Amino acid sequence: MDRKIDYKKTKKRLDGRKMDETRPLSIKTGVIENADGSAYLEWGQNKIYAAVYGPREVLPKHTANPLKSVIKVEYRMTSFSVPQRKRPGPNRRDQEISKVLGEALSRAVFVEQFPNTEIGVYVEVVDANAGSRVACLTAASVALADAGMPMRDMVAATGVGKAYGELVIDLNKDEEDAPDAVDIPIAILPNSEEIVLLQMDGLLTRKEWDAVAKLGIKGCKQVYEVQKKALVNKFELSEAKGKGQATKTVKKKAVKKTVKKVKK
Amino acid sequence: MKKVVIPGEILFEERKRLGSNVFVSEGKIYSKVLGITDNENETATVVPLQGPYVPRRDDSVVGVITRENFAGYGVNINSFNECFIPKSAMRTPLTLGDVIIAKVSNVSELKEADLTFPKRMGDGEVISVNPVRSPRLIGKNGSMLDILSQGTDCEVFIGKNGRLWARNGDLELLKKTVKFIEENSYKSNLTNAVESLLRK
Repeated sequence: MDRKIDYKKTKKRLDGRKMDETRPLSIKTGVIENADGSAYLEWGQNKIYAAVYGPREVLPKHTANPLKSVIKVEYRMTSFSVPQRKRPGPNRRDQEISKVLGEALSRAVFVEQFPNTEIGVYVEVVDANAGSRVACLTAASVALADAGMPMRDMVAATGVGKAYGELVIDLNKDEEDAPDAVDIPIAILPNSEEIVLLQMDGLLTRKEWDAVAKLGIKGCKQVYEVQKKALVNKFELSEAKGKGQATKTVKKKAVKKTVKKVKK
Repeated sequence: MKKVVIPGEILFEERKRLGSNVFVSEGKIYSKVLGITDNENETATVVPLQGPYVPRRDDSVVGVITRENFAGYGVNINSFNECFIPKSAMRTPLTLGDVIIAKVSNVSELKEADLTFPKRMGDGEVISVNPVRSPRLIGKNGSMLDILSQGTDCEVFIGKNGRLWARNGDLELLKKTVKFIEENSYKSNLTNAVESLLRK
């Protein structure tokens, strides 16, 4: 990327966003029929599927905890999710992300309600463009809620950091590759603002850090609103209609339409 | 007014009698699950829309025999733990895949259920439903169950564990109706809708 780019001068980011604007985010729940809970997330170019199975028997058995449920997260990237083909097996990065996601989710779920069991969370990255771990965490949290797991709160996550001399939210790949890039994935429980995931890559001054932490929490709260919408919109609180009743309303509409046509 | 809430959503900021699926943190009452709440109720309760089956004492359940050993049988009751019934509890021996109905007599701290009064069910079909929506299939004082069994001429037994056993009658219509109830369980006026569906 060109070293002459300076966000302080341009006031806008490479993709035209403001400094505190996230990429467009949309979440859909219940996309995998055989899973207990699932979600599909599109966040900018990131496309992620998350599925939840359980609580179920723990395997291997020595990993069971008689006091609580174990959340086992499997983060995978498909081989075609990145520009250069990724070897399909789990690598060190996948293992690390699976671990940190599991720890973040364990804080949100009431794991002590299901002793001696495991909750399997599978997240598959179909398309990636920076910030895939926060996108996965957001999707996994929605999938857990969709599975009816008792939770303290949702887990909302976003990426924040610094690129081309400015503090920005939700970095994309070009910004992540900037010479002065700092990437901080952050995840919180929105009600208590408890931080459940925080990693950092790069250098910041104390002042920048304070500003970036505030920016991160603000971003997470925006993500939380989208999560909430995705879960609530699935259930429309209206009157149930049997087949007979539904056809009646359709007929009424049809009659109204024909009346309008005749009048014209 | 009824409202769909998500886990961690604030229900009340003041003190209130606590119902199920809620928790208190710093004096505020929060929802624990994705469900429906009614803020005009006296108690703060959330009726879940999704969720696993957690056995409770006195639940009637439909189980499937999955394992047999010298002493008894392993029964799958759609919970995360397998149950066990001793051979001495049965008059006739069971085989793998047999369907039984039983009552939960006790649940341990590990949520393992003890079963009593096991009864083998003969030929019939088992239909799986969402366990948290199965109360809607039974209805108030069994009203929905009556409508189901009369409308389809089926012999129906509904377990609290999200399994329904049925035989005779119009099983296809029963499956269709059960699916309809499951999909619309959180909506009002369900009984009338089901009646009109069965009348068609």
